[in-house]
Amino acid sequence: MAAKDSPLKQFEIIPYSKTELGSYDISFTNSSLSMVITVAVITLFLTLTVNPRSIIPSRLQLISELMYNFIAQLLSDTVGDNGKKYFPFVFSLFMFVLIGNMVGMIPYQFTFTSHIIVTFALAAVVFIGVTILGFVNHGIKFFTFFYIPGVPFYMHPLLIPIEVISYLSRPISLSVRLFANMLAGHTLLKVFAGFVVAMPFFTGALPLAFIVALTGLEILIAFLQAYVFAILTCLYINDAYHLH
Amino acid sequence: MVDDDKLQQLKERIDTAEISNSPPSNQKKENGAGFGFKISTEIIAALVVGVGIGLIVDKYLGTKPFGLIIFFIFGAIAGFLNVYRVMRRIEKQ
Repeated sequence: MAAKDSPLKQFEIIPYSKTELGSYDISFTNSSLSMVITVAVITLFLTLTVNPRSIIPSRLQLISELMYNFIAQLLSDTVGDNGKKYFPFVFSLFMFVLIGNMVGMIPYQFTFTSHIIVTFALAAVVFIGVTILGFVNHGIKFFTFFYIPGVPFYMHPLLIPIEVISYLSRPISLSVRLFANMLAGHTLLKVFAGFVVAMPFFTGALPLAFIVALTGLEILIAFLQAYVFAILTCLYINDAYHLH
Repeated sequence: MVDDDKLQQLKERIDTAEISNSPPSNQKKENGAGFGFKISTEIIAALVVGVGIGLIVDKYLGTKPFGLIIFFIFGAIAGFLNVYRVMRRIEKQ
């Protein structure tokens, strides 16, 4: 457990109620609350803004339509015509990560994407789903994904394990990237916030100004990481269709 | 045929409409730190998987420490392969 004034204290999980199912701890925590808020914000925003369905959209309706177009474009660019089926999945994933990151930017609000178990669970869903998709599309031929054509036969015992490791490393790199970016950014903010108090006289204004700039950068990273998560999901779906 | 001319015209109109409908994908330029981070996670992820497989192999086949050594090397190579693929994807854009 982090010390009282540690910059890592913000990542502490605080259970609001003690609930156990069998040997599993399924308590409702601040992380769960944050996720519920995220889902509520997404649902309310999207349903309320597109509700008027006006031909000339209001500004808020335009934001919803922009988000829709952004992911639809991403899917058609990377996957092509096959991609339309996966729009609901990729869009939900993108919005959950994006709004989760943004909700985390509100002071005193918990950032659930800064916990590797959350991002790894999301990445594992993508990874397992894409693997099943590959088997559905290609059957047993999916294993040729690990077989590189045009290589001397005696190289295959070396190359196939390498390809398999490369494939298995996908969910890890996907989850670590999102989690580490959020963790590092939020820790950095708190460390600089500590400098504001610790520095003498009015020199504390310097780190304070830096925090303002850093917050802007964090919002950019929050968006960029959601985008990276979505685009990599699209690329993996594409791989499940076109093996090489 | 009379319709040939009309069809040709229609085809041209569809083509121009399709071109104007699909704007060139504007990829955002990432900053250097983000790029370096992306590359390093690829290597680390492959190494983690390689070491994990190595440890599992050692535990169940009792080949300590050769499984770990071999799969660590495989993991390292897979990491470089991942980086190579990321670079090739970026160059294509």
